[in-house]
Amino acid sequence: MPQIFTASADTRLRATALVIALAVVGAVLLGGGYMGSSYATLVGWVRHQPVPFSHEHHVGALGIDCRYCHTTVETSASAGFPPTHVCMTCHSQVWTGAPMLALVRQSLADNTPLRWNRVARLPDYVFFNHSIHVARGVPCVTCHGRVDKMPLMTRAHPFQMQWCLDCHRNPAPHLRPPDEITRMDWSAWDKDAAHKNYGALMVKAYGIQPSKLDACTVCHR
Amino acid sequence: MSLRDGHNGAVGARIGESLRGKSGRTFWRSLDELAGTEDFRRFLEAEFPSIAPDAGSVNRRALLKIMGASLAMAGLAGCGGETDEEALPYVVAPENVIPGNPKWYATSVTFGGYAQPVLGKTHTGRPVKLEGNPDHPAAKGATDAFTQAALIGLYDPDRTKAPLHLGRATTWSTFDAAIREQAEKLDGTKGQGLRLLTGAVSSPTLQRQIGDLLRRWPNARWHAFEPAQETTRRDASRQVFGEPLDWHLRLDKAAVIVALDDDLLGPGPRQVHHGRMWSERRQAFHNGKAACTLLVAEPTPSLTGTMATERLVVPHARIAILLAAFAQALGLQSGVQAPLDEAAKAFAEHALERCRRNPGAALISVGAQHAAELQALALLVNERLGALGNTLGFTDPVIAEPPDGSASLEALVSDMSRGQVGTLLILDCNPAYTAPVDLDFADVIERVPLRLHAGLHHDETAALCHWHLPLQHDLEAWTDARAVDGTVGIIQPLVRPFYDVRSKHVLLENIAGRFDATDRDLVQATWRTAWGQDFDARWRDTLYRGFIPDSVLPEKAPTFNTNPITLPQPPKADGLTVLFRPDPTIWDGRFANNAWLQELPKPIGKIVWGNAVFIAPALAGKLEVENGNEVRVSQDGAAVTGPVWIVPGQEPDTIVLTLGYGRRISGEDIGGGLLHELGYDATPLRRAAGPWALAGAEIAVTGNHQDIASTQYHSAMDGYDFVRTVSAPDEQAAEKKKQPSFYPNRKWDSPSWGMSVDVDLCIGCNACVVACMAENNIPVVGKELVAMGREMHWLRIDRYHEGDPADPAMYFQPVPCMHCEQAPCEMGCPVNATTHSPDGLNQQIYNRCIGTRTCSSFCPYKVRHFNWFDYTADDPPETQAARNPDVTVRQRGVMEKCTYCVQRIREAQISAQKDGRILVDGDVRTACQQACPTQAISFGDVIDPESAVSRRKASPRDYTLLEEVNTRPRTTYLARITESVPGKAKS
Repeated sequence: MPQIFTASADTRLRATALVIALAVVGAVLLGGGYMGSSYATLVGWVRHQPVPFSHEHHVGALGIDCRYCHTTVETSASAGFPPTHVCMTCHSQVWTGAPMLALVRQSLADNTPLRWNRVARLPDYVFFNHSIHVARGVPCVTCHGRVDKMPLMTRAHPFQMQWCLDCHRNPAPHLRPPDEITRMDWSAWDKDAAHKNYGALMVKAYGIQPSKLDACTVCHR
Repeated sequence: MSLRDGHNGAVGARIGESLRGKSGRTFWRSLDELAGTEDFRRFLEAEFPSIAPDAGSVNRRALLKIMGASLAMAGLAGCGGETDEEALPYVVAPENVIPGNPKWYATSVTFGGYAQPVLGKTHTGRPVKLEGNPDHPAAKGATDAFTQAALIGLYDPDRTKAPLHLGRATTWSTFDAAIREQAEKLDGTKGQGLRLLTGAVSSPTLQRQIGDLLRRWPNARWHAFEPAQETTRRDASRQVFGEPLDWHLRLDKAAVIVALDDDLLGPGPRQVHHGRMWSERRQAFHNGKAACTLLVAEPTPSLTGTMATERLVVPHARIAILLAAFAQALGLQSGVQAPLDEAAKAFAEHALERCRRNPGAALISVGAQHAAELQALALLVNERLGALGNTLGFTDPVIAEPPDGSASLEALVSDMSRGQVGTLLILDCNPAYTAPVDLDFADVIERVPLRLHAGLHHDETAALCHWHLPLQHDLEAWTDARAVDGTVGIIQPLVRPFYDVRSKHVLLENIAGRFDATDRDLVQATWRTAWGQDFDARWRDTLYRGFIPDSVLPEKAPTFNTNPITLPQPPKADGLTVLFRPDPTIWDGRFANNAWLQELPKPIGKIVWGNAVFIAPALAGKLEVENGNEVRVSQDGAAVTGPVWIVPGQEPDTIVLTLGYGRRISGEDIGGGLLHELGYDATPLRRAAGPWALAGAEIAVTGNHQDIASTQYHSAMDGYDFVRTVSAPDEQAAEKKKQPSFYPNRKWDSPSWGMSVDVDLCIGCNACVVACMAENNIPVVGKELVAMGREMHWLRIDRYHEGDPADPAMYFQPVPCMHCEQAPCEMGCPVNATTHSPDGLNQQIYNRCIGTRTCSSFCPYKVRHFNWFDYTADDPPETQAARNPDVTVRQRGVMEKCTYCVQRIREAQISAQKDGRILVDGDVRTACQQACPTQAISFGDVIDPESAVSRRKASPRDYTLLEEVNTRPRTTYLARITESVPGKAKS
C-alpha cells in the first residue's frame, strides 16, 4: 500500500498551523493597534472648518475665557457653540473687513448658521453632561487638552470608554477648584505640595462615589 | 398569533372541561388559554413565537445560506469609524434658551372640546413630551392616553400642509380673496344662508367670536356636533330643572357608586378627572378612612366594570328596568313595570342596601348613551338618596349649547336638504364620517353651494367640500378651552406652526372678512374684556399656570319641578342588540392617523390596528365562530361586516361595534396614511334616533376569515398567581420569607430604585403605556409585526379573567421590567450588555448588545423586546423631531426594555448635585407614574423606609410576581381587594 502522505506533509501542516496562528495574532495586534491609533481615535487630526478659527489666538494670546463663547457649559449638558452674534460682538469692531471672516459676516447677514465640523464629539448613545463635570471641578483642559496651543482645533484625547472610565473610577487626581475651571496651565498648581490631597478631599466633600460612577447608565441611557 | 387563529376548534367545549374539577382559582388571559389550545401553548412555550418555523417560509439552513456573507461580515459593521457631524449654532441665540436643557410650558390640548391640561416639555423649541399639570384642580397632574399621544398628532406627517381648493393645492391669499368677496355678499343679506358647524366648543374665545358673528349677521346660524357627548344628561336636566346643566359626579365623595352601563372610569374626556377622584376615595379606603364600593350593571365589560365590587351582566334594554326598580324602591313612579330576574334583583337589593347605609354618599349614574328620560329618573333617584350637592353637583354647561340643542346637526341637515344653506363652514369636525347614516349628511351637503372645511386632515368631510383649510394643532396654537370641571385653560403654542396652517380663531375672523388679527390677539381680546385693568398681570400668571385659578363654573342648586318621569317602554327583546361605542384608542376616528394610539392594545380586547365585532362566548358558541371569523351584522337592510372577537363577560344577546375604523378615504387622500383598510365602519347601522343602540339585529356567519392582531397571548408568563386578591386592605397577600439563593447577597445603599404597582388602583387606561412610548422613543411596528408578537412596548398591561367566561372577574396588571436584584437576564448575556447598576437598576446597554436574545429567553417576565428591523431609520423628519433627545434611538438587532426612566433619574441626580441638594423622595418620577390618573404606580428609593414606594411595599398587600423563581424583583405589586359578594361564589 503506497504512502498517503508525503514526507513533507507533516512539515507543511505545521507551517500552515503556524501561519494561521500568526495571522490571528497579527490580526488582533493590527486591530488593537488600529483602534488605539490616532487614525481611529482622531487624536491630533485637524478637521476642515468653514472659518479657520484659532483657539491659540483667542484663548492663548487674547486670554478670552472659554465661557465667553461656550456659554452653557455650566448650566447644560452641552457646552454650546457660540452664535454668530457672539463672534460679531468683537468682529463688528476688529478685523471688520477680513476676508477670512467673510462667512461669519454672511451668516449674520443671511441669518443662516455657520456649519462647523465637530471635533470633540461622542457617539449618540453616550450622554455626557458638561455642567456636572464643571461643577465638580474637572477643568476643560482635562478632556479638551491645551486648546490655547491649538491654532486649529484637534482632539486631544481618544474619546474612548476606557479613557472615560479611568477618570470615573479614580476622579481625585483630576479635580481642581471649580472657580478656575477654564485655566489651561495647571503645572504650577500641581507642583504646590499644599494641593497634594485636594482631589481626595474634594471627592469626600462632594460625596462623589467612584464605585457608582462606572455604572453603565451613568453615560448610556 | 391571532393572524393565524381560527382552527382552534371547539374552544367552548374545552373551556367547560378545564374549569370543571379545578379546586383552586383560575386566572386566564384569553379563552384559548383557558381551553389550553395549541396556539396558546405555542405562544407560551416559544420564547420567540415571532421566529417559529412557519410552513412555506425560509428554513434555518436556507437562511444561513442566504445570510452567510452578511453573517460573516456582520462584525465589520462596527469598524465604520466615526462619521463627520456638523454643529449648527444659532445666528442670534434666543433669550432663555439653553440647548440641552428642556423648557416647560403650561398649556392644554383639547379632546371632545374639553381642555386636557399639560406641561409641555420642549427642547430648543421642539415639543418632546406632554406631562400632566400637577396644579390643575381637575387632572392634578395626570393625563390619559389620548393626551399623551397628542404629541405625535402634532408631528403627524399626513396633516394637511397647505389649503386645498377643489382638491388642488392653493395659497391662503387665494382663499383670502375668495372669502373677502363672500363676506361682502353676506353683509348684504345679514348672513342669509351662512351656517357654521363646529365640534364641541368650550373655548370662551370661540364662543365670543361665534356670538360676534351672529350679532353681525343675525341670519346666520351656528350648529355643533360632537359624536360622543353627554347631550342626554343636558336634556334630562332641562326636563327636571328647566335649564340645561352639566352634571359633575364627585366620585371622591361617594361611598357607594352604582353605575348602570356608565363607563365612569373608561376612555373619554372625563377619564382623568374621574379616575383621580375615584383613586383618592379608593386610597382612603385602603387606609381604613372611608368606604368605597362600586356596583356596575352593564351589557359589555368596561373599565369601570373591571374595577367593580359587584358586576351584573345585563342587556342594554333592561338598564331602564333596573333603574325603574331602584326608583320604585325609593317611592318614585316611572311607568315601567317589569320583573327583574334573580341576579338583577340581588344586585338591586345590594345596591339599595348600601346606598341607604350611606346617605349623602351614594351616587347612581346611568350611561350618557341612554335616553334622557332615564337620566331624568336617575336625577330623581339621586335626589332621594341625598346625592345632590354631595356626590352630584351641577353647573352651567361647560360645552356651549348650540341654538338647536342636542338636535343641532339634525336641524342643519334638514335646512341643507331644503336648500336653505348657502355657505357652510365646518370647523374641526368630520360629520361625513361620524354622523348617523340616516341623516345622509354626505348627500345633503352636496346641495350647499359653498362648502368650507377646516381641520387637521383631509378627511371624508374635507373630500366633500370646495375648500379644505388646514388648522393648527393645539400644541402650535393660541386658544383657550375649559377642562371638564369648567376651569379655563389658556392654550399657548409650544412650537411655531411648521406647516402652512391657520388658527380656527383667525379663520372665523376671515369668514367675517377680517384678515389682520392673530390668534394671540383674539384670545387676549377675550380676556382683556373680562379682566380689564388687571389684564397684563393676570395674563402672565395664567400662562405660567396654564389655567385661570378658581375659574370653575359656579355650583348651581337647581330646583326640581315635580313632573313625574315616564320612561319609554323598552323595546320587545327580539333578536340581538347592537351597541356602538367610541373606540377606546382612536375614539370616533379622530385619532385614526395616530400611530401610537393605533398600536395601543384596546384595554379589554387587547387588539390593535383595527376593530372587531365583539360578541359573548355564548353567542360565539351558538354561531360556532372563533376569533377572526367574519360575520355580517344586519338590521333592516343595512349591514356591517367584520371579524368577531369573543369578549368574556359580555351579555349573550349583545353585539358591540366600535367607531373610528373602516374609513372611507383612501391612503392617498391623506398622504398615504395609516388608515388604509383597517377595520369596518359601523356607521351603516347607526341611526340618529338611537345612535348608541340598535335592537332587533341579526348576525350571520359569512365563512370568511379576517386577520386581527392582538397582544393578549403575547408575553404570557408560565406560572400562577400573577394577580392576587385579598378581601380586606389589611389582609396579607403573600407569605414573606426570603428564599435562599446561590447568588451572593448584595448590600444596597441609598438610593436604590424600586417600583410598586397597586393592582387595586389600576383601571387599565393605557395612559402609562403611551407615556412610556413618548418618553423612551419606542417605535411603532405595525399590525403584521404585532400579530407576530414583535410589539416594542416596554410596559404592557396584562388583563386577566377569573372564573366563568360568561361573567368573569377582570384584573389589570401593568408589567414593566422587574429590575430583579438577581436578574436571570444578566446571567445569560454573553457580552455583558445587561448588567446591574449599584443603584439597583437592571441596565440594558444597546451599543454593547449583539442581539443573541439570550436575555429574553432567560427572562421569566417576558418584558424584553427585540428590534427585528430598523424601525426608526425611515421615519419622516417630522416624527424624528418628536423623539426624546435624552434617550438613545435603538438600532436593529438590539434588545431593549424598561429602564425605570433612567434618564430622569440621572437628570434629577445631576441637578440635585449641582444645586448641592440631597435627592428627596418625589424628585424622580417615571413617565408611567407621572401619567397615571389613579396613582397606581409608585416609584422611588426602596432603601429609605419613609419613601412613598417603601411605605407601599410595607403594605400587607405587597406581593412579588413569580416569587417562586426567586429573582427578587424591584417591581412589586399590591393585591387587588375584592369584597366577597353574598350569593356570588368565586370559582
